[in-house]
Amino acid sequence: MATLEITGVTTRYGKVVGVEDLDLSVGDGEFFVVLGPSGAGKTTTLKSVAGLVDIDAGRVAIAGRDLTGVEPYHRNVAMAFESYALYPQKTVFENLASPLRSGRTGSYSKADQERRIELVTTTLGINHLLQRFPRELSNGQRQRVALGRVLVRPADVYLLDEPLSHLDAKLRAAMRAELKQLGEESNTTALYVTHDYQEALDLGERIAVLRHGRLVQVGTPEQIWREPADTFVAKALGQPEINLLDAVVDDGSLVGAGAGGAVAVPVPAGLDLAAGERVRLGIRPRDIDRAGPDDRPAPGHLAVRGRVHLAERLGRLVELAVHVGDTELIMVASSDHAAEEGDLVDLHVDLADVHVFAAGAPGEDTPRLGGGVPRQRRPAEEPATGRAR
Amino acid sequence: MATEIKPGRKRLTLGSVGADLLLVFWFVFSLFPIAWMVLLALKTDTEQTTTYFAFSPTFDNFGTVMSQRGTDLTSVDFAGALVSSVLNCGGAVLVSLLIGIPAAYAAGRWKYRGSEDLMFQMLSFRFAPELMVVVPLFVIYNQTGLFDTTYGMIWVLQLVTMPLVVWILRSYFQDLSAELEQAALLDGYTRRRAFVMVALPLVRPGIAAAALLAFIFAWNNYVFPLILTDSNATTVTVAVTKFLGGGGQAYYNLTAAAALIGALPPLLLALTIQRYLVRGLSFGAVKA
Repeated sequence: MATLEITGVTTRYGKVVGVEDLDLSVGDGEFFVVLGPSGAGKTTTLKSVAGLVDIDAGRVAIAGRDLTGVEPYHRNVAMAFESYALYPQKTVFENLASPLRSGRTGSYSKADQERRIELVTTTLGINHLLQRFPRELSNGQRQRVALGRVLVRPADVYLLDEPLSHLDAKLRAAMRAELKQLGEESNTTALYVTHDYQEALDLGERIAVLRHGRLVQVGTPEQIWREPADTFVAKALGQPEINLLDAVVDDGSLVGAGAGGAVAVPVPAGLDLAAGERVRLGIRPRDIDRAGPDDRPAPGHLAVRGRVHLAERLGRLVELAVHVGDTELIMVASSDHAAEEGDLVDLHVDLADVHVFAAGAPGEDTPRLGGGVPRQRRPAEEPATGRAR
Repeated sequence: MATEIKPGRKRLTLGSVGADLLLVFWFVFSLFPIAWMVLLALKTDTEQTTTYFAFSPTFDNFGTVMSQRGTDLTSVDFAGALVSSVLNCGGAVLVSLLIGIPAAYAAGRWKYRGSEDLMFQMLSFRFAPELMVVVPLFVIYNQTGLFDTTYGMIWVLQLVTMPLVVWILRSYFQDLSAELEQAALLDGYTRRRAFVMVALPLVRPGIAAAALLAFIFAWNNYVFPLILTDSNATTVTVAVTKFLGGGGQAYYNLTAAAALIGALPPLLLALTIQRYLVRGLSFGAVKA
C-alpha cells in the first residue's frame, strides 16, 4: 500500500537496452497495467522496481522512499514471475509459506500461515494441490501457485508478470474477474504486465504502453482506446487490428486514397492541415456499422459502400474484409445479418471514431494528429491518481 | 502412464548378430586385464608367473598385502598407505567442495571483466603435465615442511580436484534459473539464504557427481605422491608399485591383490552416492 514512482529509469543488458528513460507514477492502491509486445521492456520494468536488475540511470521510489541501492529483500515488494520460479524441491504449501517464513514480511504463527494459504488457495482454486510438487502440476496450476505466492503476503507493491498467460481461455476470464476483485479489495498497489490488450483494458485503472523500452502512452483504458497516441498504440489494442488508410487533405476533407473518393472525412476541428497534406486515417473494425441499403447515415457519420471480399466466422461475430475501391476495410459484424462474400454492403462510421495520424511509410508508426493525450513526462504533471479510500 | 511402450522382440538378422558378437568381443577384450589381475591376485608365489587358468586359488595374498606377513617387503605399509590415501583424497575433495561450490556459483551467476579468463586459467591447470610442476614443488615442499604431510598432499591435489569441481558445478548452476533465487530474494531472504535454501539443494546431484569424479582423479594420481611423499603420507598408487621389487624379488600376485584392494574405496564411494547420481538424471528430465 504505497505509491510507486519510476523516474528516468534506464536499464541496459550490456549494450541491449531493456528500458530507457522510463517515467511512471503509480498511485496508492492503483492497479496499473504495463502493455507492450514481447521485448518491449515490460519484465525489465518490473525487475528494476524489484531491484533484481541494476538500473543504469534514474530512480525508483516506493512510498516516497528512494530505493537506490536497497536490496530486493528490503523493498517489500512481491513478484509473480512469468516463468513461475516455483521452488521445485518444495511442495505447493511450502512454496506459498516461503514468503511468510522469511521474517521480512511480518511474523506469522503456524496457524496464521495456514489460514492465509488456505484463503488464497481457495480463491485461486488450488487448495487441493497443497501437498503436490510443482513438477506434478499443469502449467496453469503452476501459474496460479506463483500468483498465490504473491497474494499470500502483504506488500507495498505487487509486481505481476503476465500472471494469466498460461491459463486456458475460460480460466483466464474467470481469473481476470477474480484478480479485478482482489485488486479492488486488497488495495495494494499493483504493477501488472501483459501483452494482452483485453486484460489491460479490463484490469487497468491506467495503462502504460511500452515499445522498444520506451514509454509510448499512459492513460486510462478509455483514453488509450479513444485517443491512441500513435498508430502503434492504435494497432496494439483491438482484434482485428485498426484499419489504416492513407488520405490526402482536399478542400476541407480528408480523402482516402485509392477509395475513389468514397472515404471522405471532414477535417476535424482543431486540426491545422493544408490542402494536399498527407495523413493516415484509422478506423477500428468494431466502430464500423453495417447499415441497410436504404438507411440514411445519421448526422456526423461517414457512409461507405463496398463489396465483401472475405467473410470469416468467429462464432457469434463475423469478420468481413470489404473492398472499397482499391482499399480494404476490415470490420466485425454480428452474424445475425451476416453478409456473403461478393455482397454489396453499406457501412456507417461515426466521425468521432475516425482517428487521424500523420502520414508514414507502411509499417512505420506515426503519431496522432491533434487531440492526443500528452505523453506523461514528469509525475508532477500527472493528474492526481489513486483512489479515494 | 496411460500408454506403455512395449519393447518389441528384436529381429535376428545377420547384422544384429554380428553387432552383438562384436560387442561381446569388445567386452571380453576390455575386461580381460581386470580378469587377469583378479586371477593373478589369487595365485601363490610359485605360480605367479604362470599363464594357465587352472590352479588352486588362495586368498592369502590379500592378508599378506595388508599385514606384510611372511615377505621381505617390510618397508611397504600398504594398510597405512590406504589410510593416508583416504585422508589425502577425502580432504582434497572436501576442501575443493568448500571453496569450489561458492566459486562455481559465482562463476555461473555473474559475468565480470575477465571472468571467462579466470575460468580458463583454472582449467589450464589441467593442461600442464604434472611432471612439469612437480620438481619446483618438491623444492618448495622441502623448504616449507609440507613434504610428506597430509596437508601438503591435500593442497597439491587441489590442482587435480578444484578445476573439476568448479567446472562441473558451474554448468549446473548455469542451468538453474536465476529467477528461483530472485523469487527467494523477494520472499524476504538474503542472498546467502537464497543460495543455501534454493540453489544448493537443486545442484545436489551435481555435487555428488563432481565429488565422485574429483575423488577418483585424486585417488589415481601417481606423480604427486611419488615425488612429494615418503612414508608418512604416501598413497596406494605409490605403495602398490613397491610390491614389484626394490627388495629383490617382484611379487606380481601381491601387486595384483594390492591393486584390487586399492580400487575398492572409489568403487564403494560410487555405490554410496549412486542414488544421488541417478536422481540427478531423472531430475533434469522433469525440471519445473
